[in-house]
Amino acid sequence: MDVGLRILELARTAGARSIFVVGTGKGVGKSTTLNAIYEAAWRTGLRTGIASVGHKPRWRLLPRTLFATARALLPASPACQIVASHGLESSAGAILYARTVFTGEYDLIGPSTASGLRESIAAIESQCDVLLVDGAIDRIATLAASDGAIVVACGAASATTPAQAVGDAAALIARLQIAAATPNAATVELAGALTATTAAELIAAGERREIVVRDATQIVMSATSLAQALARLRIRARRPLRVVAATVCAVAAERSFDPAPFLREVRDATGVPSFDVFAGAAA
Amino acid sequence: MKAQDLVDERAAELLGFEWLRERLAPKSPYGARNFAQVVPYRPGDEEAAQERGLRIAALAEEVKPDRVAAAQAAFDALPDVSSAVARASLNETLQDPDFLDLCRFCESVERLDELLAGSSLTEVENDATAAVLTALDPGRNGAPGFYLADAFDAELGAARKVLEQTQAALDAVRGREAALVARELQRSEVGDEFIVMRAELQGALPAGVRVVRETPAYLLCALEHGDVYLEALARQQQAFDAVAAAELGVRSQLSAIVGRQAAGMNAVALALGQLDVTLAAVHFAQQYECVAAVVVRENALRFEQARFLPLDSELTVAGRSFVPIDLALSGAAVLTGPNMGGKSVSLQTCGFLALLAAFGVPVPAANARIALFDRIGWLGLGAESHGGGLLSSFAHELVSLKKILSDDAERLLLLADEFARTTNPHEGRALVIALLESLRERGACALVATHLQGIAVAAGVRHFAVRGLREIPQARAATDLSAALRELAEAMDYRIVEVEDDEIARADAIALAELLGADAAFVKAAYRALSQ
Repeated sequence: MDVGLRILELARTAGARSIFVVGTGKGVGKSTTLNAIYEAAWRTGLRTGIASVGHKPRWRLLPRTLFATARALLPASPACQIVASHGLESSAGAILYARTVFTGEYDLIGPSTASGLRESIAAIESQCDVLLVDGAIDRIATLAASDGAIVVACGAASATTPAQAVGDAAALIARLQIAAATPNAATVELAGALTATTAAELIAAGERREIVVRDATQIVMSATSLAQALARLRIRARRPLRVVAATVCAVAAERSFDPAPFLREVRDATGVPSFDVFAGAAA
Repeated sequence: MKAQDLVDERAAELLGFEWLRERLAPKSPYGARNFAQVVPYRPGDEEAAQERGLRIAALAEEVKPDRVAAAQAAFDALPDVSSAVARASLNETLQDPDFLDLCRFCESVERLDELLAGSSLTEVENDATAAVLTALDPGRNGAPGFYLADAFDAELGAARKVLEQTQAALDAVRGREAALVARELQRSEVGDEFIVMRAELQGALPAGVRVVRETPAYLLCALEHGDVYLEALARQQQAFDAVAAAELGVRSQLSAIVGRQAAGMNAVALALGQLDVTLAAVHFAQQYECVAAVVVRENALRFEQARFLPLDSELTVAGRSFVPIDLALSGAAVLTGPNMGGKSVSLQTCGFLALLAAFGVPVPAANARIALFDRIGWLGLGAESHGGGLLSSFAHELVSLKKILSDDAERLLLLADEFARTTNPHEGRALVIALLESLRERGACALVATHLQGIAVAAGVRHFAVRGLREIPQARAATDLSAALRELAEAMDYRIVEVEDDEIARADAIALAELLGADAAFVKAAYRALSQ
């Protein structure tokens, strides 16, 4: 099965032009997932763009891919078409947008500020059919809120047992999928984060109104606390997000899980289409 | 733009120097470098100051505001190529982002010349920008970006064709290898790394697969490339190296051209810096309807319909308007008038116009004749907050006074706002008279605002007065301060007139207290005390 193509179809069916890939931790197959979607988009003939919230070194890009990087990180050869340079700054210097002409390895990097990141993503998105973003949980919420789709990668690298990995993925997806606030409903608007302490206080006070946070990244608590909070409070977000798929990576340097049951458990716990990019399987 | 020692920190703040600097700031890095070197004209530079003011005022008339705005937008987007030009002049090979900047720079220069064509401004473009743009032209390809295109060099094009072919051959070999493995594993495709479940594996792994890791349930595998692939990879690498060498060659040639044009490019950069600074002043003159002041050699400050722009702008935002003022000041003079009659603002207006004239910038007035000063000092109200905890207001004034009087500035403009107001009126009056006499003797230009009586005659100086309230507005029952201030502003005649006698103008202080909400009994008591 072409897992990349399936995820791409899910995102495009949902009307998303940008696909943000985030992970429950390091080494959970985020890059493999991103690459699978990227190659599928490229093979399909879509004008494809790629961006990274942080620094992603030596990423293999195919011809005609639009990407953002720092001018100091642009390789001398093979030469790229430099499309624009808008004066945004990254940690490695001024950002520019370039289109590859030849297959090669390129560094991706995003602007340092949230507003710069938004501007950069909008600039690439305007010239592409599909934009893939290597995301970070704390930065993607404001970026993906408009019409972006999110893919969550989880795996053996970030948990000691399959159950823990499944729980982490389910909690993250539950958090990201917090529903939108109901129009005209009585609400408690939280200016900052919803923590376990705040949630416990609201539960103790018997709060029945909708508890509204800016977006899912403003919910800061463990999976266990979140499950309790979601069961006992009506938590909503001003900027809801769309998770279209989860991917699993059953292998890690320290441990491995049995791939097929792990994939099934992630699907059952998250309720979103789940894929194993390494095994080429879906659940 | 540096005030140098024309004004001290406190006077600069009171006269709106920072406000002015922000509005006169240019847009480009070239302008910023030029602007950083701008210093005030000194006595003796009258002709140069006058010439600059006239030139800016003439340009403000000549170039339409939309053109000025468009030129400033072009400056705003102008990349800084100074470093690239310098590096090229030292035989460094530039990179593609440098060439993009150089293209944008030269294009912006062309655009600026187009925008300002027909004006008396000289063209900025020269042979250097034309040569650089011509050299880089194949990389522009009608788009705003830059690409080291095949058109730069036939060898580059040929090398890239080979790379394209070898890359396609490599991809094909890899594709065949992956397809073979996928078929044998009965899959549609395999990636660089893939999992094979032991339970699904019938027999051994296909050829061309190596095991990365084994677990009881599955094998993590990767493609093991064969000799054909490795040969294709070697050819692709060779082609890649040839492209890299050809690209380096083109970049070296282009860098050499830029290096040869360094002197011309630097001349353009210099001209751009001056133009940017000039256009910022032109924009200022247009925005605030300024005129060139006549820069005079005598110690005088004369203007009609002048505005203190920092306050004018603030009032405009608040929906109110500044009442322009006239003044003909030569030598030292006294300014009296009611509270809230605009004495302080008049002093600020004097200083503000003197600042503008010192930088050769047109002034916000119907007309003006202004001397160049080598010091603009401020004494009294507004200057005390930096005194520190050890000095009283009065002591701080005396320290400032000593500093000003011992200053050896040949051309001094002193603005004093209620100097010596915090000591007893009798001695305060004596101090103000002594100050005016001293200023008169040294030939300074000075305006000393005071509520004290009989100063001008005693000091032998001219006396100006704010006309004051035409009528006293009715006190309001409600404490609507902004409405009271509006009524007060409407009733106040802010014009300054020279008065012959030394009668002190009415302060209308009690009426103002009533208008601003003072208790009725308190006001009554004040009037009773006044009549005794």
